[in-house]
Parts: sequence; structure tokens; C-alpha cells
Amino acid sequence: MAEYKEIHGTKIRTYTTNPDNPITGEVWYNDTDNVLKFAFTNTTTAWSTGGTLNTGRESLAGAGIQTAALAFGGEAPPNTGATELYNGSNWTELNDLSTVRYGLAGVGLYTAALAFGGNTGPGAVTESFNGTNWTEVNDLNTARNILTGIGIQTSALAVGGYTTTRVANTEAWNGTNWTEVNDMNTAKMRLGGNIGVDSTAGLAYGGSEPGGVTANTEYYNGTNWTEMNNLSTGRDSPRGGGTTTAGVAFGGETGGGSPGFTGKTELWNGSGWTEVADMSTGRPSHASAGNQTLALAFGGQPAPSNGAATEEWSGSSVTTKTVSAS
Amino acid sequence: MAKTYQYCVAENWGKGFIDHVESHRITFKGYPANVWQVPAYNKHANLWIAKVAGVVKTKDEAQALVDAEVQAAQAAWDAQTDEEKSDERNPRPADITLEE
Repeated sequence: MAEYKEIHGTKIRTYTTNPDNPITGEVWYNDTDNVLKFAFTNTTTAWSTGGTLNTGRESLAGAGIQTAALAFGGEAPPNTGATELYNGSNWTELNDLSTVRYGLAGVGLYTAALAFGGNTGPGAVTESFNGTNWTEVNDLNTARNILTGIGIQTSALAVGGYTTTRVANTEAWNGTNWTEVNDMNTAKMRLGGNIGVDSTAGLAYGGSEPGGVTANTEYYNGTNWTEMNNLSTGRDSPRGGGTTTAGVAFGGETGGGSPGFTGKTELWNGSGWTEVADMSTGRPSHASAGNQTLALAFGGQPAPSNGAATEEWSGSSVTTKTVSAS
Repeated sequence: MAKTYQYCVAENWGKGFIDHVESHRITFKGYPANVWQVPAYNKHANLWIAKVAGVVKTKDEAQALVDAEVQAAQAAWDAQTDEEKSDERNPRPADITLEE
């Protein structure tokens, strides 16, 4: 049988306090508490409720992480440019978008976010947020509504959406300008995004194709889109977060209107989806922030009732336990 | 036949209304009109209903509350213009049927 030292390359170390970032399987001795400790992957995954938005709405956009998330735009009704910041417990109002709209996309962090597209005006308007104010920057080349976004404020993708029809268009943002890049294989609107860290890699999943709701998943490698394994549950308007090797998708509509509102949650591992715990309030047209481990869902249909609800996702994480002889 | 679910009305106050432990133990499903579905004959579900001061409803009572809200949404949709109704992104709100 392999010894601990052969596996981890070290003997069991002694610490006065637990290591900051233990890896799964790591064992150590805490000589302050005089206990043997180990780290394991906690696979308890669940949703819980979070603070309610001040402005309930649907078809809004989001950015940031679970404890510092941004909600902006949407349809209350009426259409709104309201921007709110979540601190892990409560939402606080910040300065509004300059261009009021719904069906927009968002990426980035709360101190460095990007909003683009949407239903108002030409639907190409892009705005940049610095934590305090929104500033208009260069427009999308193809104006569109109900698109999705991937990336950060300085490196992002605008994907799919609706002009007078569903589109497969993809544009890459370099911090200054949008540039047309290769289209998705299938045109779709109300698709899910926000999985991927910048314009060099991203995932588009679900949405509405001409034939109806889809489970289709496509991966972008910085040049081309490739079809990947489908979502377990086809739906439009899912949202999510994470990276192209560790993502999460949640919510949406499976078809047929409100009876088809779903809270289904699936984890992406780089090649396929696995279904896990559902959100308590199934809904489409919500927004998201965060990653596969700690994510946030907020807003959605129908506004304003579901439109104010927030749910916090806690995925698997590395947890520390004490070895007990009893 | 034994029922699978029970229903209550409770207003979601936000953080702590449903926590991670409760969510891991039982399945919650929220509906319009602040109607919540949780498992029947379940200790953890009963504890949660007590925590949120939920008002227990029969399935028929809960269905009536959901129907009223859906019908209001349908009436609002019906009052829209033909152009608005023809937008495929704006389907008419559909009926919701609660499970036994």
C-alpha cells in the first residue's frame, strides 16, 4: 500500500494553525489543538435564499462574485437601468445604467463590469462600470437583444441573441472595440453564458433555436465554436458561471411557459453536464454571478414576484476535518 | 393515497428563509402567490414551515391562490396589443397545476 509520503511527497507536517489552502487528501498535525487534521472535498451542494433585490425584474444582467455581485438593467416593468450591489446579504442601490434596457448581457466584477446589447435603441450600446458610474464605450457591431456574455471588462465575448431573427454572431471585446469573430454553429437567443474567463474560451448552452428550446452546448476556443455534450435538461434562459472546465448552469424554461419554469442545476466539468440540486424557485430570464463553487441567481420571471428573489449556490469545496478515534 | 407534498404560504424574506442545510435535506419548490411546496410527512419540512411561520394550505387551497395570480398575469397579457402578443419572446402565461 502506498504511504502518505509517497503520494504527497512529504511527511505529515506539524502546524500551529491549519494551512490556508489545503488540498484534497492532505493530512497535517495541528499542535495547538493537538489533533490530526485532513482536507476532503465536501460534495454537499445546495441552494439557499439570499437578500431580495430592491427592484424586482426580469431579463436583467449580472456580474461579479457571490459576495460582491452586480445586478443591472432589466424589465420591472417598466424597463429599468437600476444597478444594485450584493454584499452576501443585502442589495444596495448604485448609479443606474445610462441606457435603460432589458435583454442585455453583462460580464466582469462589480468594480469592473461591462454591459452590452439589449432591447433599447439600436441594441448595440456598451457601457463600462468602475464600481461607481457607468460610462458609454464603443458599440457592438451587430445590435441585438437577449444575447449572452462571457469574460471580463477588458476581454469579453458577446454571443448569439435576436435582431429580427435569432443570430449566431460572436464578437470579441479587447477593452476598447468589438470585433466580429467566427459564429456559433447554431443561431440561438435566450442562451446561457458567463462560463469562461475571457475572450479566448467560453461556453454557450441552452437557449431557443428556430425549432424551440435547446439543450445544445458549444465551446469556443478563441477561434472556433465546437459542439459539445448537451445539457441534461434543454431550456432557454439558463444562467451560470465558472470556467470552461468547472462551470455551473441553473434555471430557465423548458417550454410551455410558466409550468416549464425550472430550477434545475447542472455542473460542467469540461466535457459533460451532471445534474445536481434544484433552485427552490424555478425561473427563466434571471441573472447570475460567481462560479461553480459559489454562485448567485437573482431576478427573473415573473417580475416583480420572482423578480426580486435571490438564491445562493454552494457547490463542492475543500473542507477541513479532524481525525477522531471515536 | 398518501400525499407526496404539502403546501404553505410564506413570504420569502431573503437571506435565511431557506438555508443550505434545509435545502440539502428537503426539496423546496416555490410558486406564485408565495406558495411553497415541501415534502409531506417530513420532520425537516415541518420544522421549516414553523420557522418561516408558514400558513399550511391544502393542495386545493394552494391551487386556488396560484390560479388567481396566474389568471391576473393572463389578463394583463390579454390586454396587450396584437403586436405585443405576436412576439414569440412574450408567450401568454400558462396555467400551473400543483402536484398531490
